[in-house]
Amino acid sequence: MDALIHGLVSLFDLHLLLLIFCATIGGVIIGALPGLNATTGAALLLPFTLTMEPVPAIATMTAIYCSATFAGAITAILINTPGTAASATTCLDGYPLAQQGQAGRALGMAVVASTFGGIFSVICLMLAAPLLARAAYHFSPPEYFALTLFGLSMLASIGDGSAIKNLIAGVFGILIAMIGVDNLTTVERFTFGSYHLYEGIGFVPVMIGVFGISELLVQSEKLHLKREVIRMKSVELPSARDYRESWRAILRSSGIGTFIGILPAEGATVASMIGYNEAKRWSRNPKLFGKGAIEGVAGSEAANNAATGGAMVPTLALGIPGSATAAVILAGLMVHGLQPGPNMFTEQADFAYAIFWSMMLVNLLFFVVGLRGAKIFARVTLIPVEVLWPVVFVFSIVGAYALDQSMFDVWVALVSGVIGYFMRRYGFSVVPLAIGLILGGMLEQRLGQSMVMLDEKWWLMFTRPLTLLFLVLTALALFGPAIWGRMVKRRAPLDSTGE
Amino acid sequence: MTPPTDKPKLLGQCERWLIPVLILSFCGATYWVSTTFKKMPPILKRGIQPSDFPQLLLLLLVFLTLLMVWKDPIRVRDRLMGSTVGTIALFAGFAALASIDFFLALGAFATVLSLFWGERRVPVLVLVGLLVPAAIFFTFDQVFEIRFPRGLLTSLWYG
Repeated sequence: MDALIHGLVSLFDLHLLLLIFCATIGGVIIGALPGLNATTGAALLLPFTLTMEPVPAIATMTAIYCSATFAGAITAILINTPGTAASATTCLDGYPLAQQGQAGRALGMAVVASTFGGIFSVICLMLAAPLLARAAYHFSPPEYFALTLFGLSMLASIGDGSAIKNLIAGVFGILIAMIGVDNLTTVERFTFGSYHLYEGIGFVPVMIGVFGISELLVQSEKLHLKREVIRMKSVELPSARDYRESWRAILRSSGIGTFIGILPAEGATVASMIGYNEAKRWSRNPKLFGKGAIEGVAGSEAANNAATGGAMVPTLALGIPGSATAAVILAGLMVHGLQPGPNMFTEQADFAYAIFWSMMLVNLLFFVVGLRGAKIFARVTLIPVEVLWPVVFVFSIVGAYALDQSMFDVWVALVSGVIGYFMRRYGFSVVPLAIGLILGGMLEQRLGQSMVMLDEKWWLMFTRPLTLLFLVLTALALFGPAIWGRMVKRRAPLDSTGE
Repeated sequence: MTPPTDKPKLLGQCERWLIPVLILSFCGATYWVSTTFKKMPPILKRGIQPSDFPQLLLLLLVFLTLLMVWKDPIRVRDRLMGSTVGTIALFAGFAALASIDFFLALGAFATVLSLFWGERRVPVLVLVGLLVPAAIFFTFDQVFEIRFPRGLLTSLWYG
């Protein structure tokens, strides 16, 4: 309770409040720009936070996370291009509403649903994270190893890529984490005699490369695309009828989004898809979906913003990122010398609660910013790519250099960018690579510790109930979808004949 | 997007096999490198040898790659676009120019990229290629106290 109050009190600092406000505006602009999203924004911002204290640094990154996730709805509704992948389902009903001259109504509902979803998830975060941390406090290395493995197995279902390709990208990320001196034995691995590789490949330049520079190359394929913004008078708060139609969808999607966010590696994109589908399934007018159903906008937006708070639960309580952006925030915590996990709620509880309160504040801030400023931010979407992306490149390269003031990191960012682009071209998601890189070292360390603890008898892991549970969950995450798919396929012909 | 033609199809067929072959070659080479790691005596190995975990990962990568070839082969819809190839070539130009001066390279890259992508307005090019890099340089130098590598232009500032 003390930490809860201390965390809130620490926010009453003019400098910090100003920083959070600016980051919220920055996040809305980032989210509104097609191609840029919360993950890229947080990765680009990370080097800028180096000189800050941990609370302002991480509060700034979470502000970008929450506000950019909301702002994806602006472009989704006004130009039928989701600013972030998590807003793709918002296009389905938001744009038809805008075409019918109801852009202000759709944006108003997006603002209200996002704010509700965000606040709901932060309250869940405040309740669930300390409880989860308390449960994890008694974990031994085998439990941690199995839990990390479970987190990595969830990469299989990340994004819209194939499970096999996602896993390949994840394993590739873990392999990159093996470069440098082995922490357990101090043996050099894959350094090829280069002192640059002695401490391994930094995850910040890799993230700047795979999220920022690879996106620049993706944008180079879209130079011919023309964007038109639908005009609107102003953002309108939803009417009583809109609330009556949508409150169930908002509430349901907030719960779904928070739950999906808590699952390791699953983020706002999956949450918004499920939130939208469930809104349609339970709606009284499912036929209206895709043609301009206000419930569709509410269901999608409440879910994707609720996932932000949910994703921070495993990130802070277990050190396992709940989404791609949470992975960047996790990297930020590590860069600032903080170790996420159960100890955070005993040794740095004030810090953890300050972050929770800052997220709450951001959700309230973008409600005001969204209602008052969406019309202005809609203009941002018209910044030409030939102006925007050269500037993003300059930021990316300077950011990659700034962390260790090393040109080697600049080359790492550039090479990661090119590799990231080709991975995306061939259907591999770059998110598993980034998460694998962050968790790789941890996974190996915990395996080593487990082997010492179990006297090198690895099969004893199966005799520990919690370890076994996580290993079973890992197996389900890896093979469950395939088995389920086969079962559905077998039943499909029967259903079609009506038997 | 480039309309599909016979050539991209051929290219796609090539890439379908090229990528798994590249991954498998990478695995082979990396596995060989991992066999050269020092072996620790049992008392110091702390559970696993330094080469054990990377080798386990490489075997997993080989298995997943073969599974990908069988279950989910690579499909390429479009040919690599000229604008993308040109942008990657500009990266090489940036790397070459960075040895002369980091910020000169950044400014030149930003200007040329903007031009290459179709921007023709001089004030915009000045903004992208001169004002933005200069603003970033001074922000990092003065606010974050970060020293950039010395070069033709930065040496003028650092003295």
